[in-house]
Amino acid sequence: MIGIINYGLGNIKAFSNVYDRLNIAHFYISTREDLKSATKIILPGVGAFDHAMGMLNKSGLRDDLDEAVLEKKIPVLGICVGMQMMANSSEEGTMPGLNWIAGTVKKFDFLAPDVKARNPLPHMGWNQIIIQQDSFLFNDLDEEKRFYFLHSYYFDCVDKQHSAASAKYGFEYSCVVNKENIYGIQCHPEKSHHNGVSFLKNFAVN
Amino acid sequence: MLYPRIIPVLLVHDKGLVKTVKFKDPKYVGDPLNAVRIFNEKEADELIVIDIDATANGREPDFQLIANLASECRMPLCYGGGIKNLEQAKKILSLGVEKIALSSSAIASPQLIAEIATQVGKQSVVVVLDVSKKLFSSKYECWTHNGKKNTKVCPIEFAQIAEQHGAGEIVINSIDNDGTMKGYDLHLAREIKSRVGMPVTVLGGAGSHEDIKNLIAQEGVVGAAAGSLFVFKGKYKAVLINYPNKNEKRSIISSLK
Amino acid sequence: MREFQICKRCVMDTTDSKIVFNEHGVCDHCLSFDRDILPNWHTDERGKNDLSKMVEKIKQDGKGRDFDCIIGMSGGADSSYLLHVVVKDLGLRPLVFHVDGGWNSQIAVNNINVMIEKLGLDLYTEVINWEEMKDFQLSYFKAGVPNIDVPQDHAFVATLYNFAAKYKIKYILNGGNFSTECVRNPMEWLYYGTDMAQIKDIRKQFGTIPLKTYPFSNVLRHKLYLRYIVGVNVVKPLNYFPYIKSDAMKLLEKEYGWQPYPQKHFESRFTRFYEGYWLPQKFGYDTRKVQFSSLILTGQMTREEALEKLKTPAMSDDDARQEFLYVATKLGITAEEFQRYFEEPNKTYKDYKNNETMFVLGAKVMKLLGIERSIKR
Repeated sequence: MIGIINYGLGNIKAFSNVYDRLNIAHFYISTREDLKSATKIILPGVGAFDHAMGMLNKSGLRDDLDEAVLEKKIPVLGICVGMQMMANSSEEGTMPGLNWIAGTVKKFDFLAPDVKARNPLPHMGWNQIIIQQDSFLFNDLDEEKRFYFLHSYYFDCVDKQHSAASAKYGFEYSCVVNKENIYGIQCHPEKSHHNGVSFLKNFAVN
Repeated sequence: MLYPRIIPVLLVHDKGLVKTVKFKDPKYVGDPLNAVRIFNEKEADELIVIDIDATANGREPDFQLIANLASECRMPLCYGGGIKNLEQAKKILSLGVEKIALSSSAIASPQLIAEIATQVGKQSVVVVLDVSKKLFSSKYECWTHNGKKNTKVCPIEFAQIAEQHGAGEIVINSIDNDGTMKGYDLHLAREIKSRVGMPVTVLGGAGSHEDIKNLIAQEGVVGAAAGSLFVFKGKYKAVLINYPNKNEKRSIISSLK
Repeated sequence: MREFQICKRCVMDTTDSKIVFNEHGVCDHCLSFDRDILPNWHTDERGKNDLSKMVEKIKQDGKGRDFDCIIGMSGGADSSYLLHVVVKDLGLRPLVFHVDGGWNSQIAVNNINVMIEKLGLDLYTEVINWEEMKDFQLSYFKAGVPNIDVPQDHAFVATLYNFAAKYKIKYILNGGNFSTECVRNPMEWLYYGTDMAQIKDIRKQFGTIPLKTYPFSNVLRHKLYLRYIVGVNVVKPLNYFPYIKSDAMKLLEKEYGWQPYPQKHFESRFTRFYEGYWLPQKFGYDTRKVQFSSLILTGQMTREEALEKLKTPAMSDDDARQEFLYVATKLGITAEEFQRYFEEPNKTYKDYKNNETMFVLGAKVMKLLGIERSIKR
């Protein structure tokens, strides 16, 4: 069954609202015991990077999560800061990330004043994703592929092969990353109407 | 490309939805839950729900109502009304809401913005400023408690203060244009947007898709919020929920190449 | 218990317990159609002439006024098509009147919106106070009767008549028609929604808040006083020319961007749940049988097609589960409480005070006078 990591952070209710509506069984992972029964994992996250890492470390799930993802190869989907946590580090904080996918989380920094004026931060609203690598996660998306974004930092992968989709905000950056069983999305599929629902459904059923 | 956000705003009063004119004469427009559900099916870009009784009556947000509304939303939901502390903000976000809106409590204590933003992330903290033009002057002032209390605070200055304290978005709401459906205060929009580096959402006065189009032509990517426009129809102000469809949206944002 | 039997001509069966079959196995609904409706239903030249005479009168009387008639609009196929015909073919200037009972679907508001926009008409909406509607609807669920649509339907009827009376509007046009409604819901399924004795009794026993703004109208007032003393006329134009529902829906989709519904009455989320789940599952009453039978009798559907469609429930399990939760949430109760009402013993209108005798007598008089053609029984 699909498990949503409940470490006191992130909008876990929004995910269960979507899966409830789809009639897809799911549960919250709060203990190491819970984690054992998950066949797929969602790692949500909002707020500051260090705060999120700190909460995850404190949850007591960290080692088992590493094992589940890296050794048992259980599919995991990180969302927003949950995706950023998969990197090595973030400019937003000083704590190390999960080191699941090589990369750094960087702050959007627009030097040219006109670019800066056109691109306020956070990057907020509906933007299109551009698919770079085919994935079952993109099944049934519509032509426009609009998703809802709300963030000021982005995932800069070391290996561009790990970038599955990109978005443009000032410049083009990775908004969906993937390495083996590890997936991450910067935007909010739980709040992206039919495209987001398809995305979450794809992760759950494929 | 990033699209401008076209945002319906719903006001909750006595458990029902109302629409005001210049913050007065609330007209009953129906039940919040069904309205939210329809906007969701119409795939609105985002939704703002403001409980206009909470602060005025000095009570807490109605968490049950918020939870019910959030469960219908496959779109970002911003809730405002009666939020006074971090605990309330966190509780609301845990119900499936993306953003919380602060107004009177933020003006009274900008430190609250920082306190909440560091915990939940600035992207989830919205500051709503209800503003009105000073009599015989071109200056604006921020009002609270449904436009009953004049704080004498300058909205332009306060928007900058809010940004420094970690707000992720400003909603600038013109009391003078509220419910008049004669167009946004474009001057006010320019004043605010040119002075902050965060997203700005403009509210108050939209009466047609043309009005939104004009705002976007002037300000580019911006939040265009409206109450009356999305709940009323025609000269009798008949209650009928509506929202631009794909083609209409395309025309509204056509100025953005 | 009576043995199951289904009509050989339409698809009405013994789930309508008062149904009577003749020696050929044809039911009384069909016979009433042949006897009472067919001879009085003219969709040829005669109907056209009758209608154009009426239209002339309406136009005359409406000269100098903002609009010459009023049309109640739900966003459903019948009222939408009526609006199209009335404006485009008959040249009338209606005020479109909508009652928002709190359960509009997205499709309903879309359809109203596209129709008034493209036809350039004015809309007037009356919003029923939701807290009152909620309490009223809950009291009907608690009463355990099948006709839970009363709070919604009564408001629609009352509001329209009250508005017409207040603004001295002489003509109400509605989408009622023989073509899709010649077979009527049996009384035991859907008892009269305007029986005030019944409403008062159920409110008294199960209501929890006073209905201060909810619009009531006594049947005597709107069927007799308003019509014959005040002179409000009710016209059903769809009965005067051939009305083929599937053609009408195609035209509406093409010309207006109108969105079709999966089933009649589904423009209201409540009615969708109620007719698609509550009535068939709790009471065994499937209103599709009535709707399909009408279409069979008027040659718009074959009996085989209807039987095939009736094999699957009106709402899928998944759909029903979600709507069940939504309706409970909307009514402000838990799913468990709602389930309790579902499981409680079924009641009928006879378990509460009622004015059935008066209604039956009234209906007979109306029929004798030729005002009503078929009798609900």
